[in-house]
Parts: sequence; structure tokens; C-alpha cells
Amino acid sequence: MRPNFFHHLHPPTIPAAQSRWRYTLGAGGTAVFLMLVLALTGALEMFFYIPTPEQAAVSIQTITYLVPFGGLVRNLHFWAAQLLVIVSMVHLARVIFTGAYTPPRRFNYVLGLILFIVSIFINFTGYILRWDTGIQWALVVGTNLIKTIPIIGNDLYGILIGGSEPGPSTLIRFYAWHIFVLAIVLAGLGAWHAFRVRRDGGIALPPPGLRADPGRISRFELVRRETLAMILTGAALIVFSAFSPAPIGPAITEVRLLTTDSRAPWFFLWVQQMLKWGDPFLWGVLAPVTVLMVVALIPYFFPNPKQSELGQWFPKSNRLAQVVLTALAFCIVLLTILNIQSAP
Amino acid sequence: MRKIMVVASGLLLLSLSLAWWVASRQQKPVEIIPVLTGQPEYCLTCHAELPEISSSHPVKTFGCVSCHGGERLALNADLAHSTMRGGANPSDLAVAEISCGGSSCHSGSEAENRDHIQRVMTSVQSTYAGAIANIRFTFGAQPDLIAQFGIKAIMDEHTQSGIQSLQEFNASAETNPMIQKFGENCLNCHLHAAPQKGNAFVRQTGCAACHSTGKHTLSTAIPYTQCNACHNRGNYDLRTMTFVERTDQPVDRVHDYYQPIAQFTKCEYTLDCVDCHTRSEAMGDGDIHSNQKEIQYVQCKTCHGTLNELPLTKTLADPNDIAFRMSILNPVVGLKIGDTILMTEKGEPLWNTRVLSDGTYEMIGKATKQRFNFRPVMGSTCQQNPKEQSSQYCHKCHSVER
Repeated sequence: MRPNFFHHLHPPTIPAAQSRWRYTLGAGGTAVFLMLVLALTGALEMFFYIPTPEQAAVSIQTITYLVPFGGLVRNLHFWAAQLLVIVSMVHLARVIFTGAYTPPRRFNYVLGLILFIVSIFINFTGYILRWDTGIQWALVVGTNLIKTIPIIGNDLYGILIGGSEPGPSTLIRFYAWHIFVLAIVLAGLGAWHAFRVRRDGGIALPPPGLRADPGRISRFELVRRETLAMILTGAALIVFSAFSPAPIGPAITEVRLLTTDSRAPWFFLWVQQMLKWGDPFLWGVLAPVTVLMVVALIPYFFPNPKQSELGQWFPKSNRLAQVVLTALAFCIVLLTILNIQSAP
Repeated sequence: MRKIMVVASGLLLLSLSLAWWVASRQQKPVEIIPVLTGQPEYCLTCHAELPEISSSHPVKTFGCVSCHGGERLALNADLAHSTMRGGANPSDLAVAEISCGGSSCHSGSEAENRDHIQRVMTSVQSTYAGAIANIRFTFGAQPDLIAQFGIKAIMDEHTQSGIQSLQEFNASAETNPMIQKFGENCLNCHLHAAPQKGNAFVRQTGCAACHSTGKHTLSTAIPYTQCNACHNRGNYDLRTMTFVERTDQPVDRVHDYYQPIAQFTKCEYTLDCVDCHTRSEAMGDGDIHSNQKEIQYVQCKTCHGTLNELPLTKTLADPNDIAFRMSILNPVVGLKIGDTILMTEKGEPLWNTRVLSDGTYEMIGKATKQRFNFRPVMGSTCQQNPKEQSSQYCHKCHSVER
């Protein structure tokens, strides 16, 4: 069989251990697939979505209720986006819990982290595009956090929001960021990230002499496995989307008027909980950035795992990184639960 | 591997057919594009069974959203209903200005008699200002009977009665326990207050309290039963400051119409309240009043005249006369230019009456469409004292046994 275009995106053969699902969890590949789903469904939505405060929520209702299969496409876009955040988290956890960030993969680890942040931002901007009463907390309180940043806060707010308060220019700017800037950055950095995986010798394994399993699989087998993962993920996504509608609400009429359901998007619930403690800059900006910096600096300041311990879960030599990530994850989950349980 | 791929592909196909099935089970949207808004609405997808609300508000012209609010495109009940005004009743006074108002609708100019909402807002039917003033005066909380409080605070910038505004009546701020009790028990009939729960208190709110005579219906042909949802369903006991429901169980119109203690004539229960009582009496005249007596003025003599005078009449010459508008809203009579109708002393047309060529009069019941022929007092054998012209004196001879 002659390798086709898709086969040529892969190396001729890779070590069998690199493609084992129980080692990689398939997270990176699933993220790529989800991005493709998002690009396709997002492009379909663009035919109907109107990025103006008066029309945004109305056009989303049109997509959801009146366009044939529009509701399914929107649900797919929504759930793929949420799954992308989850899969990215899983990917990050896998890399840390297997110590795969060790040199020469240190730089790619940081690239991946930036990709994660970009995927959060593209999710957040997409969330704002709904412009319905369900997103008002994020639109008002969330964006106000920008103002609390010393020195540059007010100017940065003006640039991102396009005025002294959210309005038509905010929506069009978030639209441009969502469909254009962040999407291109995500695609570009994603390609670079994937390129670096190959350049760094594929998925982290011990040096050839220390490998338990010397077996290799061909690119044909690899593409088959990837296709299988895509089909199964796609089927699960379709079933989920058919039965679970994405959140929707009536259009915002008064931007500053907060409704009773003033929740942050789910991945920021922990930040919203911390904001109850007081200073918005400290808890809303510094604390999340600190968490991110700690995670980013793991390969640079924490003990790196031994080469011989690569390719397996929870190597002893990077326990500190595992403990720190577990502790951070525990705090974030706890804060999220506290927020969900508290009155809005 | 090949087998797994086949199974997986089967699953994908299955999931697609499942999504197709879910989508095909959804109700087919029913669209209307109302003339007034030009924007599609899909409310009728679920609400097709509702009757046309009135011939003045055809759904093809108004649609649903103009009055009710709501999300016009949503096919999910929760979302569709989430932004509705006043729940199921957009005419609730809290939202009536948005739902029913607007300069081309029911909050137009006073000169054109299109200031309905302003009139209702300031009317004693809404404010209850008279009773509040009376009770506060009786229990020493104010020096006179001039209204200071209403159930809600209200302004009248173009006052003719002299009262520019009412403050909101706050019973808990009163020191006298009887006034407090009055505040707790006695406000709920009036339109600015929320109706109390319980069978005796069943009424709708806002415009619909009077004008909605059935499910999804608005009408000016208002039968007495509509008025009796509040009136004649009991009495306030001023010693205990509680409402006492009437206990009789009437089986016919004559017994149902008035409370057992009332005195009335045959025409009073044969006709409906709105056949005699005018729009300004029922909905207010746009001014804030301290007493119901300042606004209710139609008497027997309005239609029957006195021994010395015939009732006032008016020959319709202006095609824009409000009498024509009212007769179009409730077409029980076919008024023409040149018809002579009766008129109240305040100049309101009794548009469902007509002066006949033999000097008698006819009235068509607004709700019953019955034709009544009646005569003036002048020229009859009536022996009334010319100084005793209010209806209570007519009742002395003309009241009927219940």
C-alpha cells in the first residue's frame, strides 16, 4: 500500500509503546480532532451568526431552533469546545504524571501550556459571543478584572473591550479574536507543537537501550488507531449533542444588569469563588497567573525524572511535580465545588 | 483491527441516525410574521389552539410578542417564556405601559381619549385612595378626607382635580392597629395591589381584570359577572377590619347581581353594569380622586331625565366622534351619522342608546345584545320631589323584590 497524504503526516514507524492508549490517553490526538470539529461546526455557525448586541442572541436562537440540524451543529460546537478544555487538562496531567516534560521536551511543554491558555481564551470569547443573560457575569465582572491590573489595566481594558463598558465594539472584537486571531494562533501553535513532538523524538520514552518493549508499529497502523479514536470520539460527541442542548438564554438588554444566575463559565468557577475573598486583582488575576506560572516552571525548577523512568506513569524521580499538580488540581476542584454549592 | 473499525463505523452511523431521529421528532415550527413588527414569531408552534384575543388585536397584525414579550424564535418553552411580560398577563399594571401602551396604542393623548393607561393608573379602582383616606381620617391619622396615599405611589402632572401625587400607603408605618389591619386585609381588590389567594378573591390583574372575559379574550362587552368578581361579592366588616364573603348561593341573575342587602330596580339587574356606567366612571378620568363619589356620576336620570327635563342627547355629526369608535369595538349597534343618542351630563356618549322617532329611547345591551325600549320620566305619572333626583329616591318606588 502506498502511504497517502494522511499517512505522510506521520513517521514511517514509531515505537509501539508511544502509541499505547493507556500511556498517552490519546489526549493530544483527541484535541486535534476536536479542533477540526470546532473549525467545521464553527464555520457552519458563521453563516447564521450575527455579531451585534441586538442580533447575536436572536441569531443563536435561529441557529438552535430554526436552521435544519442547526441545534445539533451548535451543540457539537459547544460540547467539542468543553471537551477540548477537559482533554487539554488531561493531556497536561498526563505529561506531568509521566514526567514527559523533561528535556528535550521542555520547550514543547511550554508551547503546550500556551496552547492550553489559548484554548481557554478561545472558549471564553466564544462564550461571550452568545451575548445572552447567561454570560453576563463573565462580560461584566470577568472583563472588569482587566481594569485591576496596575498601570496597564485601563488601557488594556479599552483595547480588549473597545470602550469604557461592554457594547457593540466588545462583541465585534471578541468575534474577531474568536474566529480569526485565536483560531489562527491555535492552529499555528498546534502545528508547531506537533512538529516539536516529532523533532523531540516522538512521545517520551526511555533511550532505546532501556526500553522494555522494542516493538514498533507502522504509520498505517498508527493512522488506523487515530481514525478509530476519532470515530469513537465523534460518535460519543454526536450522541451527547443530540440529547444535551448547549446553554442558551434571552438577549442581554442592559449590560450592567446582573441576573440571578451570575455564574462564570465552568472553567473559571474557581476564580469566581476566590473573588469572594476580596481584592479582585489579588484573587482574580495574580492567583490564577501564579498557578499558571508554577505549572509552567515545573520543567525548569523541579527535579526532572530520570531518562530510564520515562514512558511510565508516576516515576519516582518527579514526585514533587506530581504532588504539586495534584494539590493545585485538588484546590481548583474544591473551589469549583464550593462555588457550585453556594448561592449565586 | 478491521472488525473493530467496522463496529466503530457502525456506532458512528448509529449515532448519526440517532441525532437525525431526535431532530425529526422536534415540532415543525409554525411561523407568523405580524404586520406591525415584520419579525417572525414561532409562538403558535405550541399555542395554535388559543382563540384570537379580540377583533381589535388580530394575531396576523400584532403577533404575540408585541403584547406578551418573550423570545419570539425559541422553540424551548422555558427560554420562550423567560422574558414574557407579566407572566401570562401582559396587561398587569406593572408592565401594562410597555405591553399595552405606546403613543399609537393605549397611552396616547388625552384629547383623543387614548390615555387609557394613565387613567387606570390614577383611578380609584387602582389607587384605593378614597378608602385609605377615609380609614386614616376615621382613626385620626390625617386631618381631612383628602387623599394622600394610594396602594402605589402615583403622579398626575396634568391634574384638574388638584391632587398631584399620592405616596405609597405603607400600613406597617401606621401607628393605629386598625389602619395596619386595614392595610393587610383590605387592599387586594384594587388594581395596584396583588389579588389575595382564595376563591372569593379570584380576579385578574391590570387591564385584564375587567377586559378579559374568557380565556385569551379581550372585550369591551363586559358582562356584570366580570364586575362582580370584585363588586358585590361581600363586605368589609369595619369592626374587625376583615372581608366577609357573601354567603348566599344565587341561582339566577336577579339574585346573583346584587348582594342580598341591596336595593335595585329591574333595569339595574337586567342590564349589565357597563350599559349605564361609562368608561370614565369605570377606568377613571385621568385625575387622582379622593373618593369614588367624585368619579361615579351616572344616575337613573341620566337616561330617563326628570319630570321637567328630558335626558341630554347628541346628534352624531363628526365621523371621528368617539361614539363611533366605541361602537366599532363592540358592534352591537350600527351607528350612522345623523343618529341621535343619549349623552351624560359630562358629555360622554351613551353610544348603545338611540332616540326613536316616537320620543322613546332604545338601548342595546353591550354584553347581552338585548334590545330595551324605555321612556323619559317627563310626561309620566311619576310623583317625585324635584329636589330628590338621585337614584336612591327612584328606588323607593321602583325597587324590585329579590
